[in-house]
Amino acid sequence: MSSVKIEFKDLSKRYKDVLAVSNFSAQVQSGRVTGFLGPNGAGKSTALRCLLGLVNPTGGSAEINGGSYSQLQDPIHKVGAVLDSRGFHPGLTAKQNLKIMASASDINFSRIDEVLELVDLASAANKRTKGFSLGMKQRLSLAIAMLGDPEILILDEPANGLDPLGIVWLREFLQKLAGEGRTILVSSHQLAEMQNTVNDVLIINKGVLVAQGTIKEICKGKSLEEAFLELTLRKSA
Amino acid sequence: MSALLKSELRKLIYLRANWLLLLWSGLFAALGTVAPILVLNSDNGPGRGAFSGTETQEGINAVFANAAGGYLFALILGILIMTNEYRHGTAVGTFLVTPKRSTVLVAKLIAASLAGLVIQLFSFLFAITSGFIALTFFEPHAPVPAELLFKVFRASAISGLVLGIVGVGLGALVKNQIAAVTGAVIWTLIVEGLVVAFVESIGKYLPAGAITGLVDVDFGENDFNFSIENYLSPGPATLVLLGYAALFSLIAMRTTLRRDLD
Repeated sequence: MSSVKIEFKDLSKRYKDVLAVSNFSAQVQSGRVTGFLGPNGAGKSTALRCLLGLVNPTGGSAEINGGSYSQLQDPIHKVGAVLDSRGFHPGLTAKQNLKIMASASDINFSRIDEVLELVDLASAANKRTKGFSLGMKQRLSLAIAMLGDPEILILDEPANGLDPLGIVWLREFLQKLAGEGRTILVSSHQLAEMQNTVNDVLIINKGVLVAQGTIKEICKGKSLEEAFLELTLRKSA
Repeated sequence: MSALLKSELRKLIYLRANWLLLLWSGLFAALGTVAPILVLNSDNGPGRGAFSGTETQEGINAVFANAAGGYLFALILGILIMTNEYRHGTAVGTFLVTPKRSTVLVAKLIAASLAGLVIQLFSFLFAITSGFIALTFFEPHAPVPAELLFKVFRASAISGLVLGIVGVGLGALVKNQIAAVTGAVIWTLIVEGLVVAFVESIGKYLPAGAITGLVDVDFGENDFNFSIENYLSPGPATLVLLGYAALFSLIAMRTTLRRDLD
């Protein structure tokens, strides 16, 4: 029996003259992989940042487990997030970056080796991250997100800049996490990849929810790409 | 809070740039003691005119008062502690681990204050040691009283604690690392120095002026009309510096608590 893990309630965010998200309401069920899709500038990243308490909404709310992110006790153990391929100091090694995060939340350092193994980055543990490729940076971001062994993962464009091998690795990685019953909300432009990975889909365009449902309900026998284009172009017209 | 403080201290210890900054602070402060010894004792130097040479107590005061001069580096380190978070995008991770931003800010202010203290104590010791070594080449010289060293030590410690905090506030306000550091250097080395030297009525309330008051040593009559009487006494000078710490802590809180992290 799944329950609502993440809920956007009439969420709005305005930046001066730009309404990035407008009365956006949607739900993400527990134990499911939900694809958060939308064209560039649709408001995906803003909505996710509002959800994580990094951006203050102009109106409405975004909740995790029935409350705001800031109300979570030990949030790193509940939610892991990848928002971009930065988020660590280039002058430090992968391990040092992880130690800083781990010590801030009293996580045992033995967990660092585990997450580095998990993202296939153990061999680069003691290398400074300024020499990392984009793929390695994405893996390190995932390692940081997995540090607290969270039940919920929020990933913003984790496949950005990855080569085909990296994309295959990411697909298998997400499938493995989904198999463990974690709730995953992932935004992406890789529609073909999403079709193979997600259970549910949220589509946002120009800050407004366009469609929400299971992948079957959204696609109706078509490919996700066809359904996405149809939904976003129709709403734009 | 203790976990967060440990994390902040780890950031300070791991970064090579911070160790370089510590070294530079020592060299800068040492230059402040060694250069006057050379100048005051040169044949054409002001030791024969404007200032006394190191054979007099005033000359020794003028030399060792500079041992508190590394506070610029405490300020810079405070700025780096805050602006590194924005420059490298680590603010997102920091605030995801600890969404209560005020707690993060308090940890940063404490870490910056401790780091500022370490910088000032190191640069003080480096400058004093360098000064003593340089004086051996210019015997005989007046004695270096323990009271003088205590006064400079006190000014070093308090200014280090305060300027680290001021740096965090500046970094939170400006965000852009290069702009904040450049502004701090220009302010400290040029603008503030001129105001403190030539407009004492205002300068004594600026951080450098308050630190001068805190050092509380006179250099005797000289061409620059410097007199410690024109500066605040150590008690009020400490209060002024604590006021700056409170003001910049407030600035750090207000700017960081409300800011969107895009």
